[in-house]
This record gives sequence, C-alpha cells and structure tokens, in this order.
Amino acid sequence: MTDTAGNATTTSGDEPVTMMEYFMQLEYSDVVSAPVMRFRDALMDARLIAQQCPKCKLVYVPPKGYCPIDTVELDERNEIQLADRGVVTNYTVVTPVQYYGQKETEPFVRASILLDPPGGMLILQDVLDIPVAEVRAGMRVEAVWAPKGERDVDEIGNRSGSALEGSLRGFRPTGEPDMPAEAFSDKVW
Amino acid sequence: MAALKDVAIIGYAQARNERQAQATEVQFLFPVINEALEMSKIPRREIGFTCAGSCDYLSGQTFAFVMNLEAVGAWPPISESHVEMDGAWALYEAWVRLQHEDIDTALVFGSGKSSPGNPAEIYPLQMDPYTLTPLGFDPVSSAAIQARALLDAGKVTERQMAEIAARSRRDAMKNPYAQVTGEFDVDELLAQPYVTAPLRKHDLPPISDGACAVVLATGDKAREVCERPAWIRGIDHRIEAHQPGMRDLTTSRSTRLAGEAAGVGSAPIEVAELSATFTHQEPILREALGLGDQVAINPSGGALSANPVMAVGLARIAEAAKQIVEGGRRRTLGHATSGMCLQQNLVCVLEGEQ
Amino acid sequence: MQCVLLGAVTELRATTHTIEFPYTRTLGPVIGSFFTGLRDRRILGIRAGDRVLVPPLEYDPETGDALKPDFVEVGPAGTVTSWSWVTKPTRKHPLDRPFGFALIRLDGADTAMVHAVDAGSIDRMQTGMRVTPRWRDERKGRIDDIECFVPEGGAA
Ligand SMILES: [Zn+2]
Repeated sequence: MTDTAGNATTTSGDEPVTMMEYFMQLEYSDVVSAPVMRFRDALMDARLIAQQCPKCKLVYVPPKGYCPIDTVELDERNEIQLADRGVVTNYTVVTPVQYYGQKETEPFVRASILLDPPGGMLILQDVLDIPVAEVRAGMRVEAVWAPKGERDVDEIGNRSGSALEGSLRGFRPTGEPDMPAEAFSDKVW
Repeated sequence: MAALKDVAIIGYAQARNERQAQATEVQFLFPVINEALEMSKIPRREIGFTCAGSCDYLSGQTFAFVMNLEAVGAWPPISESHVEMDGAWALYEAWVRLQHEDIDTALVFGSGKSSPGNPAEIYPLQMDPYTLTPLGFDPVSSAAIQARALLDAGKVTERQMAEIAARSRRDAMKNPYAQVTGEFDVDELLAQPYVTAPLRKHDLPPISDGACAVVLATGDKAREVCERPAWIRGIDHRIEAHQPGMRDLTTSRSTRLAGEAAGVGSAPIEVAELSATFTHQEPILREALGLGDQVAINPSGGALSANPVMAVGLARIAEAAKQIVEGGRRRTLGHATSGMCLQQNLVCVLEGEQ
Repeated sequence: MQCVLLGAVTELRATTHTIEFPYTRTLGPVIGSFFTGLRDRRILGIRAGDRVLVPPLEYDPETGDALKPDFVEVGPAGTVTSWSWVTKPTRKHPLDRPFGFALIRLDGADTAMVHAVDAGSIDRMQTGMRVTPRWRDERKGRIDDIECFVPEGGAA
C-alpha cells in the first residue's frame, strides 16, 4: 500500500523498522538559450539549423553556442541550414523495462542519423513506417514533419535537443538503395 | 611532512552574476575560463591539471558537470577531476595535485546555475536523509535558527546584521560582477518584514547564476608569467557534525581549526573575503579567524551581493588574490563554506612578495 | 514538460521538467531502533559517554568513536533552544501554515533535534519554551511520525 506521495506505508506492528522510503521530487524551469530558441523557430518552419565551427568544420545540431573542440564561441553568423534527409549510421532497439516513470511498453528504435551535406548528426531518432526488426545501418531516410498547425516546440529546451517529436516526428525510409554501413561506423554522435 | 611546494594564483576571472541567465552554464563558463587563461599567460594545452566544482542537482541534469568540461577544451583528452562542492574545494584538490611536482600549472573553476530550481526544495536533499530531509529543513530556516542562537547569546543584533548588509551592498557597487548593489538605509532595512524570522530579505543571499575560474602555477613558473603572484601560504578545510543540534551554532570550530592550520594568525591579515552567505555568519567567521576591526571584510560585497552557489567560495579566493595581484596588498584571506550553518569551512591564506 | 512565457519584453521562454527518484533506504541498527521507537510513540536517544544524543548517531560526533547500541528513552517533552519562524511554508515542509522550525532538547537528552513547532503565531514562540510532540495516528517508523511539536499545556 502506498500513500499519496507514493511512499510505502507500514502499519504499526511488532516488527523492527528496517527500511525507509523517500520520494524525491524536484521541479525545474530552465530558460531556453538563444541558440536553442533559433533552433525551435526553424523547426516551426520544418527546417533544421545548426552551427558550424569555422575552425574544425564540425556541425552542431541543435546549435549550442560554442565548439568544445576549439573552445570558440559560435553565434548566428555560424548558422547553417541542414538537409532533412540522410542515412542511418547506427541504431538500437530498446525493449522497455517497466521502471518507475517508463512510458514505453513496446520495443522501439533509437537511431543516429547523418544528414546529407552539409552534414550534422541527429541522435536518438525514431524510425517510422518500418518494422523494428527491419531497421538497419546504411538505410536512407527522410524527415517526417508534423503538419503545419500541429507543430509544437514548447518542450524543446537546452537539455532536450534530441526530443523533437512535437515538430519532427521521426524519419522514414526513402526506398533508395542502402549506403555501405561500414562507411559510417565512426558516426554515432 | 616534506616541505610544501610553493603554489600561486596567477589568473582569475568571474562571470557577471545574474538572477536568471539565458545562457547555459557552459555558455557563461566559456568567457570566464578564457579570461582566466589569458590573464595567466599559460597556453590552454599546457595546463597540467583541471579541477571543477559544481552540483548536478542545481541544474537538474545528470552529468551536467561533464558538459561543463566543454568550456575547458577537453579534446584531445586532458587530466581532470571534479568535486560536487564549491570550486574552492576544487582549488584545494588542484593545490594537492601540484604538490606531486610532475606538473606546474592547474586550472580550477566553479559554476552554478541556481535559477532553474527552487533552493528551498533542493538543499534539504543534502541533509541527513533520515531525520532532516523528510522535514524539508531548508537553508534559510536553518540559518534563521543559527541567527536566533546568536541574537539570544547577545553576540549580534538585528541592527548589526542590517549594517553588514548595507555595507556589503555599498561595497558591491564597485564590483562589476555583483548582483545586489546600492546605498541602503539601515533603518529602512530594519522596517522590512521577516522572511523567516529573525532573518529579513537583506540577511539572505541573492539567488545567482555565475562562475569563477582560477589558474594556479608552482614556484618558478608563477614568477615567469606573473609580475606579482598571490602565493598560497596556507590552505586547510575542516568539517563538523551534520546535526545542527549537536554543535554550538554561535561559533565555528571548524573555521577556527582551518584558520589555525592555514596560519591565519602568524601575521596580520589586511583583507578577508568570507563566504558569509547570511549576514549573521560574518561575525561568527570574524571571531573564529581572529579578524579585528583593522581587517577589511568583503570589499567585493561578498556573498550577500552575489551568491553563485558552487563558485561563491572560489570567487572569495579569487577576490583575495586580486587584492594582492592588482591591489598590492601583502597578506589576504579567502574563505569558503559548505553545508548548513557553516558546517564545513575552508581557509586559504595568500601572500604577495615584499 | 511545458513552456511558459516569462515576459514579453525579454521574450525569454522556459521549459519545465520534474525529476523524481523513489528512494528506499536501509536504516541500520541505530536509526532503525530510533524509528521503531517513533512508530511505538517512544523517542530513543543513544548513550555517548555520559551524554545522550538525540537523534541517535552511530558514532560520537566529538571523537568519531563507534557507539554501542545503548538506547535510553527521552522526552517526549522538551525545551526549545533556538527557533525560526517560517511564514511561507514550501510543499516539502511538515505544515502548510506558518510554523516554527526549532532545535528541541528533549528531557533527558544532551543534544537538540530539529523539528517543526505548530504554535499558531510567532508571538507564542520563544527560546526556552516547553513543547511536546503531536503524534500521527498512523505511524510508519519515520521522523514525521511526529507530525510536529506543540506548546506544552495546549496546542495552538
Ligand atoms: Zn571547432
């Protein structure tokens, strides 16, 4: 039996008390950073933007305002437009364990997707319109955007860059021939 | 014990403290670390060891401390460490690391973005999980109990507490990083209602988003790059029982012991930067460290004018170093605290050469 | 998660999120005995030399020495040694109306424990006041089996 806070209760008895439950809950309200605000605005137009480091040319999506490799700060001037199609470079099938807070019940895919030039990696993306067992590295995919008017980016904050479902539902196979998976074996993040 | 290696502060920088920063913690750390490194004249890739202090519970994100390394330049991999404590304890770890003599420089930083969460709900989680956390025993309530004990003992008055707040906010007007600044009338402050009696709003620190970085170097290296290094002549930290009812809250035994071990009393201190995050804690710390009226206390405005949790103690040490490096002072002191009611205290004595 | 507009001038937006961890802790022989006592409406201290520590610890905070499980019943009434007055309780606090957090030295104890005092008004709070526990009807073996303390000789 549990009380309203989810704490297990014990009724009075003769048994010694040996355990204690404590339900920890904290609420946060985090201001969305300037680069992520611009990323959200672009998603509302069914566009993906990123920042590209002028030194190492790495592409950061969502943009975060700096390149950690070269320790240079990035801003709008370093912003680039990304393709909304690409290739699955790696993936995993998650069979959800029903731990506290788990909302998923069926096995699902989380894929790393390398977007077509100028590049950019999107991680932890859903792959739609295909059985979980048929997802593979090298598979060509394209973005599935929520219809205009249904798009919602309110949940995208500084820490939730990969959870884009409100605007970018996921990716689906294009039907193009696969690309050689081994060419992308170092492209996970 | 073998003779300790001379270690000095040769660079420092702070973020301008804000009640609510739009920048992420990494974003506002970026310029702070860059500025401290520039001041030190040590090339980033030559830094021998990096140590950070931060708290994931503040930002509410697991591994936030790893993200913070993005502001350092950690690729190719660097030698680094982290303490879930104020950056002052990261400085202590770096100082110990420099005693090994195989490296001659270290970067230390502390950062905290307190604005996303509710401190009154987060901090009870660092208390005794059996008897204190379930009561939601928060830092303002515990500080208020300490203030009451001090008032009852006749060791401070509410007017003296207001005077400390007014002095801190006035001094902070000269500090570009400070958050709560200005001229305040003590009678008007005392006319304000209690937030948690006997504490009024001016007795409490502000909620701040901020960061501080410090660069350390050993003997010859420090002299080579810095005209007037701030030498760490003594550093020590001590801790007391976690149950507030098992300590005399009107004194700080751990501060006294740390101060003695750091050699505070062996020569006059000119400036002391104290992490008194509540007004009444300043007289407790002064007494514990034996700081008389001739000692300038918190010329930066101290923790009452900006309280970037996890950086505020390191910022005190940086301010104490600044008094030597830029202000030409001979001997200063930086203090950091952790836990409730001054449970754990670190004292760092700094000296400039004659 | 949801988004709130923080102000038209700055146009800052925020995302909110909640983190939750359901903890289950083992108590060990000392806190376990203390909590077993609370469930049975008894408050136990532990002997440390000639002193009695409440709440009991596994060690003497003065010396760090381990303590033998030598318990002694204290209270239930006690004396407030210091206090604060919380005007705006948080949702984590024991009471939803203004109350005092206090250090309470229970009769027979040499140290003070933290708990809430439901005094109704700050005017009824003072150092040295006598308080007595208000027990919950259904007790689980937790610190909040004592709902709070109340001024001796009549609740608020
Ligand atoms: Zn780069």
